[in-house]
Amino acid sequence: MPRVFFATDLHGSEMCWRKFLNAAKFYDADVLICGGDMTGKAMIPIVEENGHYTVTIASERQVVGGDQVADIENQIRRKGYYPLHVTPARLQELDQDADVRKATFQQIMLDGVRRWMNMAAEKLRGSGVRIFVCPGNDDEMEVDDVVRESDMVELGEGRMVEIDGFTMISTGWSNHTPWNTHREETEEKLGERIEAMARQISDQSRAIFNLHCPPFRSGLDEAPAIDADLKLLHGGRALRPVGSTAVKEAIEKHQPLLSLHGHIHESKGAVKLGKTLSINPGSAYEEGMLMAAIINLDAKKGIKSYQLVNG
Amino acid sequence: MAETTMGSAGARPTLFLRNATGLVKAWSTFDAFVYSFWSVNLITLGLYGMSFAYTVPNGQLLAAILIFGLLTTFLVGTYAMLVSVMPRTGGDYAWQSRVLGGGLGFVLSITGWWFTLFLWAPIYANILVVQFFSPLAYTLGWTNVATFFTSQNGIFVSCLIVLAFVSVVVTLGMEVYARIQKICFWIGLVGLAVTCALLLFASQSDFQNAFNREATSLFGAPANAYQATIDAASKTFSGQDFGYFAFGPIFLLLPWLAFYLLWPNWGATLYGEVRGAKDIRKPFWSMFWGLWVTVALVALVMILIVKTMGWNFYQSANAAYWNNLFAVQGAVAPPVPIWPYPVMFAGWLVDNHLFQALLILVMGLWFFGWAGTLFLSSTRVIFAAAFDRVLPAWAANISAKRRVPYGSLILMIVPSVVISAVYAYRPTFTSVFLDATAVLALTFFATVVAAIILPWRRKDLYDASPIARYKIAGVPLITVVGVITGLFLLFMLYQWSFNGDNLYGTSFQKTPNSVYYFLATYIVAVVIYVSARIYRSRQGIDLRRIHHEIPVE
Repeated sequence: MPRVFFATDLHGSEMCWRKFLNAAKFYDADVLICGGDMTGKAMIPIVEENGHYTVTIASERQVVGGDQVADIENQIRRKGYYPLHVTPARLQELDQDADVRKATFQQIMLDGVRRWMNMAAEKLRGSGVRIFVCPGNDDEMEVDDVVRESDMVELGEGRMVEIDGFTMISTGWSNHTPWNTHREETEEKLGERIEAMARQISDQSRAIFNLHCPPFRSGLDEAPAIDADLKLLHGGRALRPVGSTAVKEAIEKHQPLLSLHGHIHESKGAVKLGKTLSINPGSAYEEGMLMAAIINLDAKKGIKSYQLVNG
Repeated sequence: MAETTMGSAGARPTLFLRNATGLVKAWSTFDAFVYSFWSVNLITLGLYGMSFAYTVPNGQLLAAILIFGLLTTFLVGTYAMLVSVMPRTGGDYAWQSRVLGGGLGFVLSITGWWFTLFLWAPIYANILVVQFFSPLAYTLGWTNVATFFTSQNGIFVSCLIVLAFVSVVVTLGMEVYARIQKICFWIGLVGLAVTCALLLFASQSDFQNAFNREATSLFGAPANAYQATIDAASKTFSGQDFGYFAFGPIFLLLPWLAFYLLWPNWGATLYGEVRGAKDIRKPFWSMFWGLWVTVALVALVMILIVKTMGWNFYQSANAAYWNNLFAVQGAVAPPVPIWPYPVMFAGWLVDNHLFQALLILVMGLWFFGWAGTLFLSSTRVIFAAAFDRVLPAWAANISAKRRVPYGSLILMIVPSVVISAVYAYRPTFTSVFLDATAVLALTFFATVVAAIILPWRRKDLYDASPIARYKIAGVPLITVVGVITGLFLLFMLYQWSFNGDNLYGTSFQKTPNSVYYFLATYIVAVVIYVSARIYRSRQGIDLRRIHHEIPVE
């Protein structure tokens, strides 16, 4: 019976993606599921000038020679950022023109996803391991097309897929957030989106809901409270539930065997919602640590065991 | 898309940030400072802990406090750097588990943050009695109420009140309690300012007259209770001169001061949840100022006590109270039979019982703004252990409607009630409670060891962190700072465990109950971990792999 490895919210961390791919061998997993928010949040310019390269990482400005650029790029990717080679003139253009910045960011992001798809193919082709990716609310819609091009990685979004006798539905859409990201909608529409897939499942006791957004007030959706200016309140100690009521209702109504979530990095946990085991493994992508869940599925028991790991 | 450009003013941009979930502005250092400030609570823990300083002959308290502040700054630095390297992972349990190993991390942190916190409930309750119920009741003339809270039943009831209060806070959640804390903070500061002003503008003879008046009025003490207090103490206490300075006794005071000054990092388990904690400055400065503002205020309060009450009187009052309570040979009852609460004594400078009661009420906010977080870190550690499958899943259960973490609350409250009963009805176990500070210090020591070896044990994490560039003579700064902190903690652990004069009531040789209790807690922790390993192994879960890093290449 399949052993599922689920991780989410890698946010561009190449180190986490490499670990994600290696998890198949490390944990003897048959299925790898990446729950969304694959793409990074920032690009860092590496400015080429007079034969030297200038870059600022974690507030530290460095001037390096050409032989050190590859190492610098790795450092940047490890943190989940995108390295961007520019001349001083190009940097100025990016600084001043929002459209150019937008186009450049999209290009570099899609190149990053393509690079990850290629790595997956190189690493796991012929292994028998299935890999699913379901872009999350932070991933632009164009990411889906890049995933679709892959002959190794399967796109989860909006699909119902069979995994050794279990049925998985997926969506990376979320309820509205203060950041107005790429895949957000009202609770009503999100509910319709999930219901359209869920009602096709004939046996909910063999169903997996791979829904990026966690259910509201489940303990898997507690994020630090912020004010209207996006400033953390009370020293970051105050937490508020920010999950989706539509996701909660879908789980309560259909009672799938398992629901997999992400979105709220701080809210690692595993809870029972009726018959459903709901898991949010959390995310610490910026540390290069891959927080994940290993779920051993069983034909008779449904879920034989599960474990949250910090790989 | 690409909403933000970052770079120093007038300089080239160094980073382009797009609009994405979770990109928040950093939390206010002041908010975090308030939490740290409460953790080293000057009034509740501070005055209570320092009331034992009389036990160290010739101990110069002011110098000891400054030295303690200096050494604890290294602890603050160590924890701030750990937060910076592993910001999201939940404090001591996660740091120890990921650096020292899952089993060791579980045993050390669960004993410190779970089992030992049972002992703190009665300690909190005792502080509530001596700083709130008892002085308030005496001031209002409710002698029966005051004496009830000094009885065994009264002590147990006060423990239950504390546990109920803590449970309510956990149920309300931190957002509500943080608001309450801020209100308590500001009103409490006003109360402190009034207390200090009373002491500042009164002379020592004013105080003696006020003390003698109220001692008679409230407690029926004979005339000149001020001198009678010093006389009562003199049977077992040789007196103290604030101006005397000797190096050795100063260091012997440090373990007493740990009772309140060792905790500016109490919120480190929480800092891990916030974005922005990568920036080492914020956690460092919030803990630093929490520590040093308290040190400064303690110094101020002490100087005012010396000036207005007289140091020898204050220390005599402490000696007379504790030595009589602990039935020290030769001790006699002081004329004012309650714990010498400086706030109450300062209030006596105003000949009005309503004002005195109001001052005690206002200063009581130092308790209620602080005590609510007693189990907050414990519940987080229990959650983390449950998510790691070392504890059963129900330990992390939360009620659907009210969001009450009832699993972890049961695991904290039920044993705390039992321990509270032992505290109230079996005085022979007192030393166990005195050890509560030492066991937490041992937990901190394990974290500090993790910090010292972090650059080698978790090179990947360390190299990727912002502190990797801080070195002294080629040695990582976190290692250097950790070694100094470790030596400081080791010194205190040694004194608690082996002090020949049993100064702290915790020496192994003199307090076998305490040794057995703590040995038992470590054994229980080991048994839980080993049982979980075996049980989970049968389920196909290998607990060893929780913190094993997946190869990158």
